[in-house]
Amino acid sequence: MSFLLAVCFIFGIGPPEAVKACDRPNDAGKCILLSWKLSPDDAGLKSYDIVRTDAFGKDTVVGSVPSGIGSFTDESVRDNVRYTYRVVARQDSLRAESVASGIAVSRAQWFNKARVNVLVALVIFSFLVFYFIRHARAGRKLFIRRIAGLDAVEEAVGRATEMGRPILYVPGLAGISQISTIAALNILSEVAKKTAKYGTDLLVPNRDPIVYTVALEMVKEAYTEVGRPDMFKKENVFFVSDNQFAYAAAVDGMMVREKPATNFFMGMFWAESLILAETGAATGAVQIAGTDSVHQLPFFITACDHTLIGEELYAASAYLSRDPLLLGSLKGQDWGKVVILAVLVAGSILLVLSGIKGLSFLHVIYSFFNIS
Amino acid sequence: MKIGEILGKIDRRIVFGFMAIVVIVPFFFPLNVTGKVAPPSQQLFDAVEEIQPDSKPLLISIDFDPQSMPELYPMLKAILRHAFSRNVRVCMMALWVTGVGLGEAALNEVAPEYGKVHGKDYVYLGWKPGFAAVVLGMGKSIPETFPTDQYGTPLESIPMMRGVKNFRDIPYAISISAGDPGALTLWIPYVQSRFGQKLGTGMTAVSAADAYPYLQSGQLTGLLGGMKGAAEYEHLVAEAGYSEASKPATQAMDSQSMAHLAIILLIVLGNIGFILTKGRK
Amino acid sequence: MKQGIPRLLCLVAGIVMIVQFFIPHPISEKIFSESLRWVRIISAFALVLGVRSITVHHGTRIIRKSSGWGYSLVALVAMVVTAVIGLFGGVDPHATALLPTSIGGFSFHLQVLYANLMVPLGATMFSILAFYMASAAYRSFRARNKEATVLLVAAFIVMIGMVPIGSAIWPKLPDIAQWLLNVPSMAAKRGILFGIALGSVATSLKIILGIERGWLGGGK
Repeated sequence: MSFLLAVCFIFGIGPPEAVKACDRPNDAGKCILLSWKLSPDDAGLKSYDIVRTDAFGKDTVVGSVPSGIGSFTDESVRDNVRYTYRVVARQDSLRAESVASGIAVSRAQWFNKARVNVLVALVIFSFLVFYFIRHARAGRKLFIRRIAGLDAVEEAVGRATEMGRPILYVPGLAGISQISTIAALNILSEVAKKTAKYGTDLLVPNRDPIVYTVALEMVKEAYTEVGRPDMFKKENVFFVSDNQFAYAAAVDGMMVREKPATNFFMGMFWAESLILAETGAATGAVQIAGTDSVHQLPFFITACDHTLIGEELYAASAYLSRDPLLLGSLKGQDWGKVVILAVLVAGSILLVLSGIKGLSFLHVIYSFFNIS
Repeated sequence: MKIGEILGKIDRRIVFGFMAIVVIVPFFFPLNVTGKVAPPSQQLFDAVEEIQPDSKPLLISIDFDPQSMPELYPMLKAILRHAFSRNVRVCMMALWVTGVGLGEAALNEVAPEYGKVHGKDYVYLGWKPGFAAVVLGMGKSIPETFPTDQYGTPLESIPMMRGVKNFRDIPYAISISAGDPGALTLWIPYVQSRFGQKLGTGMTAVSAADAYPYLQSGQLTGLLGGMKGAAEYEHLVAEAGYSEASKPATQAMDSQSMAHLAIILLIVLGNIGFILTKGRK
Repeated sequence: MKQGIPRLLCLVAGIVMIVQFFIPHPISEKIFSESLRWVRIISAFALVLGVRSITVHHGTRIIRKSSGWGYSLVALVAMVVTAVIGLFGGVDPHATALLPTSIGGFSFHLQVLYANLMVPLGATMFSILAFYMASAAYRSFRARNKEATVLLVAAFIVMIGMVPIGSAIWPKLPDIAQWLLNVPSMAAKRGILFGIALGSVATSLKIILGIERGWLGGGK
């Protein structure tokens, strides 16, 4: 050690200073974070070696970082063991070693404090949803604004019946884990009840095998529910292909051959949205679309008669079924938006005020809302 | 039929024919117009530029298939040329099974240009079913999620993958994405939000607009939007002297410029027809 | 019973995953990675359902000689041939496999099928978008009122500004186009996204707690 110090002294390489070691917060353990002040001769250095000393005094070089970097993450530690660290500045054969850091112990945490804001938001929002569901259960009337696209469903099914043509229902191209797919399937259930009532054929091509099985089951149940299980045609709900454009080509082909009177495009869509909607428009079908895919909305608005925008798609099952429980949750969502708006305004004000000298402490409150 | 009615009701087949001519002509008579590089493309270039050579790898995910190849494949090649010319290691994977061949083709084409070797300078992990499960699994352990590479070689025996445990060892990840699963549905919500991975994306022009909010929020560091983004990246790579290869996206931008002008012309004609007919009514 | 068990499973899995999100401990991580493994296995099994559906759907059409049954025949033959080549011909063109994948100079290996069928067919379908975009824009972009006129002008600026020729016409056009995308367009999108995000959380809560159970088939 004294030899090294002597070398440093002679050649004038300053060691790194203020080495700090601490357990990485909010993690599964087995990790210690290190930081240090760069050597005054950093520009000429080659690298920094990180030397770890365990509880038995054994030194291990755990890593090396290039000059200019003042931090290191040691992921080779064991939990609940006391470690200290030294950082060695290196320039070819020359070395300058820092003073050892304080003791650091890695531990696994049981709660991620960085996600407190998410937890708070979840609790507030869940409370609002449940409060309004309770409210609706108590029999209080909840106002829900008119959604033209959903009002047109009945009319569209009637039109198909009059024309003696089928209805095409595309439940989006996403998998079952997408909320928009679940919303689309809920609407499918309501549409199927109506087609069962009117005796109109309902074609449901699917892109995802799991969505296909759920759709099949839902259509079957809908037909049973309105007392027309005999009208249900199993072959009309089917899987096409999981390839995006192969699916679009197949559905386009169906539109051109079968000429459905009404096309529903509900759920998640990508570039195929316009290919589907424009083909449908060319066949003269009435088209109702609904998606939460913001970038596909312009295409649907251009080529369809009615378009459900964003959350209108999620509201559809509540709107069509008028189930008070579902209506209640819709009201909760609206109040959730009010809370978000309030947070946005408050956040903007806090950010502006925290720039004023003496009010910088407000930045702490502002930071709470940040998800890093 | 009056002129207003003719202009307002041009048959769609004429529109299609006109568009075909407008798109094809610039292939033979290039305009050679170079545009301005948009800040999101520059950001992506800078992020790749910041990766240490011969160190932890750049992760590229092939989240597209042949359908979107014209827009996204030139991006992939330009990014690979940028990385390989700077000796940045590349770890490639695919979330779209139909994209596996595209990733392989790009590596086979670009790697030999720079004398890069599989296992030392780049690795191809291939495809695994499960989408979200795959990327979330990688956040925990890449070797556990992909025990072997595309060709069955165990990951631990691949020299450049030693010490690459999870996303903490990936300085930058790029999802070249045509939809779901892709940057917006998987990489931002699961990988960036959950693991804090520094992330960039290349997307089809039609879906790039959706990525802008994430660019502003800092969740995305860099975005290449469609053919334009690819052309800008090709320009940046060539300007920095990293590649002298042909620039397919730059050439295709001529067709796109002309197509945009053609659509504007059609809209103007439609509106003239609309105004003339409305005036008469 | 038919709905009770799936609802209970959904409730337990949903709550476990929410709680897991806030716990970084290795035990929590273990539960998480184990559940991911299950999801991967289930995803693989879903493929079997898809193949069965394709076979039954197209098989029925062929047997009944429904209109366009010839297309169904093509679809089935294509599926079987591709699957047989993939399964028995292997994915590596240079490795030996159970099935030969070339006759003389004619190769029909999976990579060949992919490069010469999938790639051009896919690119063709995507390129149709350019034509449809032109016809849809021509048909519906009419300056019917003040709002539509503003939309039209904004669309012109973005369309010209986003291609290289825009900066050749007027160097400021790309900046104005970018501003339109970054400010007014983004503001509207964010508004929609807030609604979507809250809607997603509310729908997830409803599914986890069994309020929304349409996805189980039937409403009750």
